[in-house]
Amino acid sequence: MSQFFPGFAKNQIKIESLDLLQETPSPNCTVEVLATGFKRIIGDLRQKRFDTWDWYSLARRADELMITQQQTTELLAIEYLKERWKQAGVVPYPHQLETARRVIFDMQGQAILADEVGLGKTIEAGLILKEYLLRGLVKKVLILTPANLLWQWYHELYEKFDITPGIQRTEWDWNFSDILIASLDTAKREPHASQILDIPYDLLIIDEAHKLKNSSTVGYRFVNAVQKKYCLMLTATPIQNDLKELYNLIGLIKPGQLGSYRSFKSRFIKDKRTPKNPQELRELLGQVMVRNRRDEKTVQFTERIVHPVVVSLTPKEQELYNRVTRFVRERGRRSGLQNILPLITLQREVCSTFLATALTLEKMMESIEQDQQMEAAELLKDLADVKQNSKCDALERLIGELGDNKIIIFTEYKASQEYIRYRLEKAGYSTLAFDGTLSRGKKQWIRHLFQNQGQILVSTESGGEGLNFQFCSVIVNFDLPWNPMRLEQRIGRVHRLGQSRDVHIFNLITKDTIEEHIIYLLHQKINMFETIIGELDAILLHLNLGKSFESEIMEIFLAHEEQEKIRERLDQFGDRFIKGQAEVRTAKWELF
Amino acid sequence: MQHLVFDFFKLCGLKPLEIRKGVWQVKVDDALMKELDGWRSQGRLLQFTFDQRSAEIYGADLICPGSYRLNSILQVIRKQGILSHAHIPLHHFHEPSIRKKILAKSGSTGRAYVVSCSLQFAQYLQLELLAEARGLQKKESIHTVVVDLSTGSIFKYAFPFHLLEPGGAAQHKVRPRKCSYKQAFINAAAYLHELFAQQDQGWAKEAQEKLAMEEGKLHEFFKGRLGSEEYEIKKKELHKRLAPALRINALRGAILFVPLFRYGLVVVSPGGKETSRLISYDPIGNMYLPELD
Repeated sequence: MSQFFPGFAKNQIKIESLDLLQETPSPNCTVEVLATGFKRIIGDLRQKRFDTWDWYSLARRADELMITQQQTTELLAIEYLKERWKQAGVVPYPHQLETARRVIFDMQGQAILADEVGLGKTIEAGLILKEYLLRGLVKKVLILTPANLLWQWYHELYEKFDITPGIQRTEWDWNFSDILIASLDTAKREPHASQILDIPYDLLIIDEAHKLKNSSTVGYRFVNAVQKKYCLMLTATPIQNDLKELYNLIGLIKPGQLGSYRSFKSRFIKDKRTPKNPQELRELLGQVMVRNRRDEKTVQFTERIVHPVVVSLTPKEQELYNRVTRFVRERGRRSGLQNILPLITLQREVCSTFLATALTLEKMMESIEQDQQMEAAELLKDLADVKQNSKCDALERLIGELGDNKIIIFTEYKASQEYIRYRLEKAGYSTLAFDGTLSRGKKQWIRHLFQNQGQILVSTESGGEGLNFQFCSVIVNFDLPWNPMRLEQRIGRVHRLGQSRDVHIFNLITKDTIEEHIIYLLHQKINMFETIIGELDAILLHLNLGKSFESEIMEIFLAHEEQEKIRERLDQFGDRFIKGQAEVRTAKWELF
Repeated sequence: MQHLVFDFFKLCGLKPLEIRKGVWQVKVDDALMKELDGWRSQGRLLQFTFDQRSAEIYGADLICPGSYRLNSILQVIRKQGILSHAHIPLHHFHEPSIRKKILAKSGSTGRAYVVSCSLQFAQYLQLELLAEARGLQKKESIHTVVVDLSTGSIFKYAFPFHLLEPGGAAQHKVRPRKCSYKQAFINAAAYLHELFAQQDQGWAKEAQEKLAMEEGKLHEFFKGRLGSEEYEIKKKELHKRLAPALRINALRGAILFVPLFRYGLVVVSPGGKETSRLISYDPIGNMYLPELD
């Protein structure tokens, strides 16, 4: 540029500022004359590239029309995306449109989107992003999310907003992509962090922003240092334990909104969970935070109806189950809870299909001690010999009873998925398979087939992530994940915004197995299917388990053989969960 | 809007056919479809309507303010016509009247004779400038500014655009410009700046007030650390977001050629002394231009 126009300072010329506001102490307005457009004209002029006068005149009219369109204080994105939303079956809710309007017109693009879970924070953020893009106010955008949500964001932006972002893979992507989705954990590490800090972003979006509640963490300091014009932070739980968390989050987008910490403490904190002057604090929060709650004004979700289907194993199956369980316990005791993951898998698989169990056991054979190898080999042989599967028999009966309803059958294991399909196809049902190995295009295609032609979809969970199936309202959990978060993700594929019917959840539970305990914990004890929708992540975060949910359960299971003892420990664990739930609920403090 | 859409198809060499009342169909080839809908698109029969109801009934693309199809067409149009040229043909001017005017002016203190007469073209640069007034919200407007390339001055009167005809002028007949394009652009931007200064400055005032308020909050937050780098960064971000600014960018430009009447004169003073003079007259700017070196 400077070679082209030696007199031009970098990209723009600054003209002497004008006396614009004569009545204020700092009456100046910056005038920036950009060289970008002029450079294009000169480029054409030097090459004598003259367009016809007709095109020129038409382009001038198009410019005028474009500008007239953009002068509106209505959201441009609504009309622009109408067709796309029709195709994608998206119906934006009034609270989402209102939120986008508030953030753009009242909050100058600095906001915490703190809607309760399930109200569509991502849609609100996408709408704001699209609006800014259409108005030409943002170009360089960075979206930081947890790693497991990268693709979900990609799909949401592409399908619902016609935005094609990049997903960060290498350190070159930071400069290359104008709209980039990246994992916060990657971004805050070197060499990425220093590259990001050099880039002035127009918009920074942070999903699951509650992870930045602590101002002394690397993540917090990193996000604070990113150069950004507009910033959106998405979290359903802006406060979890302490009002300081809220102060920290607001400090990231608008430092000073709540004053210095000392003044905030004296004005607004009675104790760490109780605010002083809640009315005043609410007003200040309202300037930077939008929180929509589930009520009549926002959106009503349909019911979740849980149906337990208890399956009795045949004596032979029961005997095999007991032998596998003994084997797992023995291995667990020997390894002293080290390397517990394969054992958890084995114990869970034995409640799914023996085929899946056999495959895992075969893999384990290589690493187990000599004396156990014989036992494992015998077990393997017997597992392979079992021809019956009572759970699949029950599944066939259940599907027969469900009639023509579209059904998603979830299993955790690929081997079980194949076996279920084999059995159902044999029984005369046509099925579709959905799993994590499919490419994005194939997943979309299978979803399309399922929506328009198929009746039964057999899915592993990884396959279900990022795609929604609101057109279906029946879920069958062939086996149960031990982690409630995974269970919620399964149900969330179907029970979400846009679902117009009650969702029926059929859980196949094998009698006298660990599954009975799991369903007791998840359904009877903590009632996760029906009452804690949307709070689960907050509760788990609040509990701060230190290890995975699965490991907690496995430890209990390995430590005790008596059913009563196991039940007692699970009760204690459940009580902890319920207490955590109560604490998370009171942590909302009537502030929002 | 409807005229614009039809003119667009016409310039693309396409003729939409009204297949139902208010619903048009046009065969768009691969290349244009890719321009409209991205590189994956292929040529097809494009159906469009300006009526919401027809769009719903027949599934035609709706063209209305803000709609996807209108925006895609606007985007394609706006990529065209970055630079063009036009001229005002000679026949719009009555040469004897101009000659008379020149003689009257030159012979005000004596007599004057025309000894030679020729035609040149003066150059004007017409710029379409986009002005973005960025306060709490962004307000955009488009302004057409014409700069006389002989002097670099802004043409402040109504330019007779209706007289323009497509195409440039023969190179040898064009009077060399005295003002660089860059200078012309800077002059145009300065002129626009002046125009804005004379208008209501409420938007800037509002932004200044908000900025001052936010700066106060930031100041309190960083009390005791006002010299820190973090404070400076946050302050810079705040200014970037809220400080009122007028941003001027050129969208497109055109060179306009205007006939210039050039006369060789002999002026006889009251004392009988004869002097030769060359004078050029620009009938659009109503200017007498000195001869170029």
